[in-house]
Amino acid sequence: MAPAIEVAGVSKSFRIPHEQRTYFKEYFLHPFRRTTYERNDALQDVTFSVEAGEFFGIFGPNGSGKSTLLRILAGIYVPESGLVRVSGLLSPFIELGVGFNLELTARDNIRINSTLAGLSRRQLDEKFDQILAFSELERFVDQKLKNYSSGMLMRLAYSIAIQIPFDVLLLDEVLAVGDEGFQEKCFRTFDSFKEEGKTVVLVTHALDLLSRFCDRVLLLEQGVIGAIGSPEDVVEAYREGALVG
Amino acid sequence: MPYYLRVLRVVGAIEFKAKYAGAALGYVWSVAKPLAYFGVLWLVFAHLLRTANQTHDFTIFLLVGILLYTFFVDTVGAMLPSIVTGGSILRRLAFPPILIPLSASVGIAITFCANMTALAVFIAIQKVTPRLEWVFVPALLAELCIFCVGIGLLVAALYVRFRDVVQIWELTAQLLFFASAIFYPIGILPAWAQKVAFLNPFVQVMQDVRHAVLGGPSGPNDVTAATVYGGAAGRLIPILIAGLVFLGALAFFRREGRYFAERV
Repeated sequence: MAPAIEVAGVSKSFRIPHEQRTYFKEYFLHPFRRTTYERNDALQDVTFSVEAGEFFGIFGPNGSGKSTLLRILAGIYVPESGLVRVSGLLSPFIELGVGFNLELTARDNIRINSTLAGLSRRQLDEKFDQILAFSELERFVDQKLKNYSSGMLMRLAYSIAIQIPFDVLLLDEVLAVGDEGFQEKCFRTFDSFKEEGKTVVLVTHALDLLSRFCDRVLLLEQGVIGAIGSPEDVVEAYREGALVG
Repeated sequence: MPYYLRVLRVVGAIEFKAKYAGAALGYVWSVAKPLAYFGVLWLVFAHLLRTANQTHDFTIFLLVGILLYTFFVDTVGAMLPSIVTGGSILRRLAFPPILIPLSASVGIAITFCANMTALAVFIAIQKVTPRLEWVFVPALLAELCIFCVGIGLLVAALYVRFRDVVQIWELTAQLLFFASAIFYPIGILPAWAQKVAFLNPFVQVMQDVRHAVLGGPSGPNDVTAATVYGGAAGRLIPILIAGLVFLGALAFFRREGRYFAERV
């Protein structure tokens, strides 16, 4: 079977200016001053592939490039070099709370998000109640999201992500703020995705999640692949590296 | 294409509703604003300064100018901040970023349609004789839309990099209001100024709509791109500019749009 995700030689760096210039004034006042940049190589020559139906973990310390990699897979960031190919429909769950309009109600946000993700009006009508039911937020559907807690936002975002038809699901730090009941509910969906043969990429810090769900794990260290293999091997490699380093 | 239309309908309708959600008179404001403008200018120019004497059908003349100007300025004004204020969704979901500024302009278009009904009412009250040229009006409005969207895309993409764009646009909009012959006949400008003014597709559309709606053998509405630049080919100059602005802005927006998710 063809891989669901192919990543070949992907690099991405961000230029972080030492001083941000957002007004023309700054150009007029210091016309000859060159803006100096800090170059942050978020990813360097990353190559791997994920088989269809695989539950794939991405793991690494803070700032190792996990989220950047996930955004590149989702087509949100453009890689500087290299190729990314994802086959099938993709649904991303990325960075908590980002992308919601907090001044709008949950109802409106669900409609905007699902429509942008490609749902037709009929699909949306079908899915709307399922999204709400899964998130258990029926009572709060007409409240503005600015009144939501971070746990409630997470519930809503996760529910939308998994109700949109997908072949490949990208999950970034999903369960960081959910309560225990909802976490268990999410784990059950993980199991059903595995049974249905869906491809899932999960970014997490939680080692127990890696061994519980993942078929293979990629360890990312400062933008470079540190190890790739079974959860046990990779966690071991990480612990050794952490001890030596 | 159906995807684009669906997004514009859903997102546009939600944003339109949200914009007036907290206001007691709600939607009425969007129609009241240009009509209030109109009322003040009409009072000043038709009664106090008597410009009206030079212009037959001054009421319709003025109303056309103000409605088109409001549409132009409001469309650009709505699109300008859209990426910066509403762009965070680009960090969650990969979709064509052009949908954000386009959705922001949907509400303005709805308002404009409502305002056009007000114009129709005035045309009925003033008993303007129906003319064959009225059929050109939709095409002219389409040209204006293309020009507005072009400028809107350009400033929306620039605003992500330069926060000065808001101030520059506000000043430009103010200057355009006085320079664009909205409340005076363009014929009173010197010939060179007319040539400059008609480089702006907005001026050309406004004059052509006035001419189409009101006609008149020797009125101020007869000043069009054709008379200013001499010959029918002159008509093409502002239309060409509108098209070039749109295509250029679209290309620029596409290029910049790849990096909006990193910058907003």
